[in-house]
Amino acid sequence: MPPDSSDVDAALVAKLGADSALLALMPNGVYVDEAPPGMTRFVIVSLVDEHDEAEFGRRAIEDALYLVKAVALSTAGANIRAAAARIDALLEDGALTVAGYTHMTMHRVERVRVTEVDDLDATLRWQHRGGRYRVMVAPT
Amino acid sequence: MAIKSGRYGTISYDPAGVTPVALIALNKWKLSQKTDKVNVTCFGDTNKVYVPGMKDLSGSVSGFWNSTNVVLFDAVDAATPGMLKLVPNSTEATFFWSGLAYIDADIDCSVEGAPAVSGSFMAAGAWNMMP
Repeated sequence: MPPDSSDVDAALVAKLGADSALLALMPNGVYVDEAPPGMTRFVIVSLVDEHDEAEFGRRAIEDALYLVKAVALSTAGANIRAAAARIDALLEDGALTVAGYTHMTMHRVERVRVTEVDDLDATLRWQHRGGRYRVMVAPT
Repeated sequence: MAIKSGRYGTISYDPAGVTPVALIALNKWKLSQKTDKVNVTCFGDTNKVYVPGMKDLSGSVSGFWNSTNVVLFDAVDAATPGMLKLVPNSTEATFFWSGLAYIDADIDCSVEGAPAVSGSFMAAGAWNMMP
């Protein structure tokens, strides 16, 4: 029976969520895909793309691309630049411990920096900054 | 009998040439059997005519580098041929090709992905198709 691929997602969220320096910058926490209503400074992790490599009889490699970004409301006083830098410090060539897997690599493949106009109040802006990170693990 | 997936193929090898053991982290093999054709075309023939000569047998294997099993690369330096066994699908394990073979190996390491290994082989003795 193969290991649970969702554990890879969870390990990534846990790694970011366990970092006090990142949480000091983004105190609302780390979430998958979307944050709860009312949050103004948080980190989002989304699975963008994933493919598996096979060897005879089993899965050999899980190769995933995650969007990892700090998101902050312009009025929240967040240091979005520092948050993105902290995310990169944690993930670029960092280790990821996941039960049932051997870690292979984790590194950024693309930067992300977007300013979004708030849906309800056009005077507000949301800042998004981070990157797309490639995470490769091998089922043990 | 039915058409089977290649997912459960296996490649086994024994450097001692007796009892092949499955190699890990491999995901492809190819066996090529070609017979030399001797040109026996004569005056008056309406087209070229051939008769079969000796069969040649060779092939390739490939997959990922896994440091826990470097048999493929050990085989490159072997002075004597090992026993190679190729199974299309392990759920029909009685169907396979096997025989003594010499092996060459390559490793291809790129920053874009997992290091890949590949190898080629050629017969060093009689090969059999089973059953």
